[in-house]
Amino acid sequence: MKGGKGFRFRGKLFLLLVVAAYMVFFMVNAAEAYQALLRGGLLLVRLIPVFTTVIFMIALVNYFLRPAQIVRWLGRESGRKGWLLSLLAGVVSHGPVYAWYPMIENLRRHGGRDGLLVVFFYSRCIKVPLLPLMVDYFGMTFTAVLTFYTLVGSLAQGWLMDRLES
Amino acid sequence: MSSREEIVTETESEMEVRQTRPTFVSVLKKSGLMFWSMAPLLIGIMGLVGLLETLVTPEMLSVLFRGNPVADTAIGTVSGAAATGNPVVSYLLGGELLQQGISLYAVTAFILSWVTLGVIQLPMEVEMFGMRFTVFRNLLALGGTMLIAVATGLTMQVLT
Repeated sequence: MKGGKGFRFRGKLFLLLVVAAYMVFFMVNAAEAYQALLRGGLLLVRLIPVFTTVIFMIALVNYFLRPAQIVRWLGRESGRKGWLLSLLAGVVSHGPVYAWYPMIENLRRHGGRDGLLVVFFYSRCIKVPLLPLMVDYFGMTFTAVLTFYTLVGSLAQGWLMDRLES
Repeated sequence: MSSREEIVTETESEMEVRQTRPTFVSVLKKSGLMFWSMAPLLIGIMGLVGLLETLVTPEMLSVLFRGNPVADTAIGTVSGAAATGNPVVSYLLGGELLQQGISLYAVTAFILSWVTLGVIQLPMEVEMFGMRFTVFRNLLALGGTMLIAVATGLTMQVLT
């Protein structure tokens, strides 16, 4: 599987540093280091469905969408459609943000604009399945106000990113 | 060109596209391979999450707050960015902090930065999107979090 043309693993040095940190931790406190390793492992298992979904979505995007279509929807000229699409994608996306990096990088490589990526990243703060819990803890008014400001803030950050990039 | 000729030409070009277009299975394999190439980054991040969840407990974070709304908003933003885990934990902890008398500004900043800012995923973000994008995005999220926290706190004071 590693033999693909131009294939290279990314972040090998980073992984080595993490492994080194674990080795040090094991020498200092083996019981806690084992706990940490277990937590990381369980997280990996828990995220397998999210990773599978992301791989499938990358394939769907690459199969059905031409780069020109991605540019039309998420590029410079995407207009309101682009803002709305990235906002919606951020709100409905599930799992930790780093699981979505490969897909976002793929869209960016095909012409997706940075401002819209920023909107996606920030609007992920709104977790639809967790809204009832937020209402329970902080009340309906707080949840509504925070959701509103988060949506506005996401768009404002995307707009600013576009200004910084231009 | 007659309409029949046009139809024939279109059909031929469509066939050509279909012949040159890869199958969905091959696109899926390529996507899987692309994802696999990022395995060291993802495994490294999850290893770091395990380390941080073990070393930095929610209790440790809650003692950082001082009771000063301005300082606590900054502390909430930074500690939320340094923390990791399910957002549910940030709600639970945020609820506890409110009960302890910590300001709504600080708790809001904490909840927002828990999801939008992440010290742990910074190496991966830099590797995938470049230093410039990562710096701009995180600075915008940092400023945005503080502003939204203040705006939410002020609006809540008016509404309640």
